[in-house]
Order: sequence, then C-alpha cells, then structure tokens
Amino acid sequence: MKPELLAPAGDLERLKIALLYGADAVYIGGNLFGLRANAINFTIEEIKEGVSYAHSLNKKVYVTVNIVIHNKEIKFLLNYLKQLEEAKVDAIIVSDPAIIELAKKNTNLQIHLSTQQSTMNYEAIEFFKKQGVSRIVLARECTKEDIKIIKNKVDIELEMFIHGAMCSSYSGRCVLSNYLTNRDSNRGGCSQICRWDFNLLNNSLNEIKGEKDFTFCAKDLSMLKYIPELIDIGVTSFKIEGRMRSIYYIATVISVYRKAIDEYCNNKKNYTYNIEYEKILRECANRDSVAQFYNGIYDNTCSYYNGRKEISNQDFLGIVIDYDIKTSIATIEQRNYFKKGDIVEVFGPNTELTTFTINEIKDLDDNIIEIVNHPKQIIKIMVPKRLYKNDIIKIKH
Amino acid sequence: MYKTIIIPNNKKMIDLDCDALIFGIKDYSVNMPFYIDLEELEKIKKTTNKEIFVSINKNIYNNEIDNLKKILLKLNELNIKGLFYYDVSIVNLKEKLNLKYDLVWNQEHLVTNYLTINYWKNKGVEYACLSNEITLNEIKEITKMSKAKLIVPLFGYIPMMNSKRHAIKNYLKEFKLKDNSKINYIEKEDKIYPIIDDKNGTTVYTDKVLNGIKDVLDIDVDYILLNSFMIQDDKFKKVLSMFKTVTSDNKHEYFDLINNMFNADTLFLHKETIYKVK
Repeated sequence: MKPELLAPAGDLERLKIALLYGADAVYIGGNLFGLRANAINFTIEEIKEGVSYAHSLNKKVYVTVNIVIHNKEIKFLLNYLKQLEEAKVDAIIVSDPAIIELAKKNTNLQIHLSTQQSTMNYEAIEFFKKQGVSRIVLARECTKEDIKIIKNKVDIELEMFIHGAMCSSYSGRCVLSNYLTNRDSNRGGCSQICRWDFNLLNNSLNEIKGEKDFTFCAKDLSMLKYIPELIDIGVTSFKIEGRMRSIYYIATVISVYRKAIDEYCNNKKNYTYNIEYEKILRECANRDSVAQFYNGIYDNTCSYYNGRKEISNQDFLGIVIDYDIKTSIATIEQRNYFKKGDIVEVFGPNTELTTFTINEIKDLDDNIIEIVNHPKQIIKIMVPKRLYKNDIIKIKH
Repeated sequence: MYKTIIIPNNKKMIDLDCDALIFGIKDYSVNMPFYIDLEELEKIKKTTNKEIFVSINKNIYNNEIDNLKKILLKLNELNIKGLFYYDVSIVNLKEKLNLKYDLVWNQEHLVTNYLTINYWKNKGVEYACLSNEITLNEIKEITKMSKAKLIVPLFGYIPMMNSKRHAIKNYLKEFKLKDNSKINYIEKEDKIYPIIDDKNGTTVYTDKVLNGIKDVLDIDVDYILLNSFMIQDDKFKKVLSMFKTVTSDNKHEYFDLINNMFNADTLFLHKETIYKVK
C-alpha cells in the first residue's frame, strides 16, 4: 500500500503549496495548544478553509494539539476540541493522554499520538491503542528493527519523520530552553539551545578544546535512500518536519519525496535510487543530513560541529502566478533577487524541472528592467515552456 | 505533614533521617547518582524500614521489554512501596503482570497539570511527581484539584535535558580528544552546567540547586523530594535536617543558609515561563 506523504504547513499558503506539490495530508497548528507557538498558525476560520481546500482534493488535514498543558488551559480545551471537530479536521495530534480521553468522550475526532511522547516500544503503543489512539508518531530514536517489531506486534497506523531537523534530546525530555532563556520548550517556545556553542570542561573545570566548540547540534534527518524499505515495512505515513519552513522548502522536499514514493510504488522491480533527488534536497536545506537513529548509528557522524551557518536560502527566486500560452509570458511574484541573464530552473506539480536563461524582464507596465530586487515584486518573463500557477523558479547551481 | 523522600548520592546515605528512598536500577534508570541491581536492592530492603521506591525512568526500547518484565516481577516480590516511571509501557505491564506496588507518574517535565494527574489516577497510578518547571501557585492548585498522592521535588540539581546521544563521547571522537571525567561541565556566559554522558546517553543539569524550603509549608503534598546527586554528604544532611524542622519562623533563615551553602535558586517556583514570544 502506498504510504501517506505528510507535509508541514505554517499557514494557508504553505498548506496549499504542500498539497499541490504532492502531499497527501498536511499537519498544522491552531492558535491554541500547538508546539510551534512562534509560527503564524491557523485561526479556526483558516483551519476550516484549509480543511475545505484539502478535502476538495481528497486530501487530509491534521491539527497539532500537542503542548504540555498547564492548569489554566484546562477549561479551554474542550471547546477547542469541539471547534476542531466542527471544522472537520481529519485528526488531532496529541501528546497529553488527558486530551485523548477528553476528545474520545466528547468528540468523534481521530487521535494521533505525538512524537512528544517518545513512543518506541510495543507495550506503550498497545496502551495508547487501548485509549483510542489510531496512529502513533514514532519517536525519532526508533531503529529499523524497532519499527518492524512494533509493526508485527500491534495493529495500528505508524507515522515516522523522514526528513527535516532533529531534536538533540528525546522529545519531551528537554527544557534547556526554559532554564536558559525562560521560554517553555514543551509549550512551543523552544529556542534551540541545542544549536548553541558551549565550552566543554572536565571534572577539574579545565577546558577540553577541539577545533570547534562543543554543541549538541544534530544533523538533519533524510530518509530518501530508505523510502523503498520503509514502504515495504508498512509505515503508514511519511512525515516531513518544519511548520516554520518556507513554501520553497516545502515544495522542493515534498515534490522529491512524492516522486521517490511514486516511482517505487509504481514499479518496484525496476526502481533505482535517483542521486539527483538527494542533491536537490541538500541544496534546499543548506545543512547536512543523515538517517540518524534508523540504522542504530548515533555517533559523531550524526552531529553538526560547523556552528550556526544556516544562512537563509536565496535560491527561491519567485513563484508563477500566471502563464499566457499565446505569448509564452509568465507572470512571477519575486521572492529573492534575480537579474537578466541568470540561468534558472523551474519546477512544479505538473512541470518537470527545466532550465532556461532569463533574457528579458518587464514590469507590469511593460517597461524593461534589468534586476528584480523588491520583495514580492510582480514581473513578466518569457519562458519557452508551458508553466502553471504555483510553479517555482529557482537559481540553477 | 509531608514525608521526606530522598535520592541518595551513595549507599551511606540510606541511613539518613528520611522517610523514603529512591533507587535507580542498572540499565533501566537515568539521571541517578548510582545504579544498583536487584540483589543489592533486596539487601537494602532487608536493612531498612524506610519506604523503598524504585525509579525506572529511561525511555524503553523493544529489546528491553522482556528483561523489564522480569525486573517488574522481581520488584513485586521485594514488596517495594512504589515505582517511578517515565515510559508508558510500565503502566501497560502493571496491569498485565498484576503488579501490586504503586506507580508514580514521573514524566519529568510533562507533569504540569491536575487533569492529566487525575487521568493517570483513573488508570491506577496512585502518585504523581510534579514537574520542576511549574510555579508554586500551579502546585497549590494541583494539590487542591488532584486525586493522586503528590510528590514535589524541592531540592537538588534538576535534569534539563536527556538524550540517547553520547554528546561528550561524540565530541571527543570528532576532535580526537581524551577525557575520562565522570562528570563534565558545559560553560556559557559564565554559567556552568553539569553534564553526564554514560551508557544510556547524555543528561544536562541546572547550574543552580533548587531551593524550595521557603515554600514547603505553603503546599499540602504527601512527599517532598530532595535529590542529593552531586551534593556533598555533610551538606545534604544539613539540608535534610532543615526540611524536617522548618517552621514559619525559621524558613527565611533556612532559605538563606541553603543559599549560602550552594549556588541555589527557587527556579520556576516564583517565575512563569514564557509561552509565546510576542
């Protein structure tokens, strides 16, 4: 059976892009009780709109309700759960078992157990299944063997992260952010202390100095190479991390995994690993990625000692908002600086990756311009290939 | 009046004047000063009349379940008072194995509200050990609304992060360095945090010792938990004595005494964390 490809979405634009670029479902946060307090997040009205849009494509929307709750929030929970039910969301993602019980008693919501519970053994999963959970988001520490054992022991849907940033700790077991920055990591305020540099000292308080400073920083996760294996094991849902990521990141990552999943499922015997996909993912993230715990390896090769060099990605040049077939003119909304003469690539849900040179740029008044350097500037360029709304233009490396 | 439950820093501390003790079990516990096997636990049980709690607080993997069952059954024979758990597998196994000892919900930073405490109580979990990241007012509300017996940690270094990764070993390997410290430290902006990398991964502790003695009389809980990990024996003995003799008249004096003995703080007892950054 073909697994679900599950994308993050920080707002309606990203939700639509994720679904257009091949996600089968998206997970989003509401204004309350989600773990990305600093993402834009969705109002109930936006959730309804997102659900309606997804359902029109026969796709799904899951809403995170996975913060660690405090007393003062208890009275608001039930009303919020009922609002989510009315919004017709396909499931809620929960870490606190009291919310599971509240939802089961008072709503018909499907319930997925968040990775915040760090669930990685069949006894714990059996417990949560008895409580009415229909899907488990596995702990990122699970190995291939763990997933196989769980799959064989408990009949329940399994979701696993296949791509994106990693926590350095067990999910739920880190409050560095609370103590070092007074921001609550289990309530959406994580300030990523694990990416800070520290001096490491021995028991006599003398510094142990390597070429780089000490850090907990983990490389990103990428399971692209293991997609066929995971499909054969029977993992239900492949989850991409990153509700605060850009539409470019989401479009790129989703389209790569969409192709990999489809290529394997459509022709298992003749499937070959496409190294080009790996290159696309690497360029998009600007960070090293590995399979992390999946193969039981979590040594220094999984750690990142290069400091915080996650410069914002400038590859994303613009998004197609219209294409005139008669004139071959594409109308583009700018996202990063580009200029006449740049060699660029375009890709989209129905557009294969194509390279072309920008020979001429015009503004909306048909004035010829040399550079495009205003945020969200609308311009026109000739593209010798049929494009579609929401195709993405990127720089060619 | 509350009982005192301590995490002993070594086996000599078993004789201290407390009501209950918590022990970690080899390979199945984390964040403890030392770990014992079941034979040692049996011996200790025979030598003391104090209540014995065991902490099996690591995240459990499939390949550990069979042995975990044996441990849980042996603990049943030893007639321990209760078992602190992190991994929910233990709740499932308590029912399956018909274990008679009480469970303590001890998912560290997640024990933050009375609704979930009552949820676990309804599942047969008699105790909850409260998070260190909630305020005194939240603790007070929990004591009013909770059906479970409550344990509140009020002294000691607090684990801030627990990882399967071997953060120090990995760093040493990456840069071809050598060090055999049992306890290391990480330093940032003149603050020094203890960090321990052992068989089960890495734990980072607070730079400051939690000092909750000023507030202990204001909360109505069943046990207060005092953690002696990384605390000198003689100093801990004094702290324990203060917690057992604190009154409204001397609580400020004791508070200052503890602050003078350690780099101590009330941590989140009087400080709320920020949920959303505006």
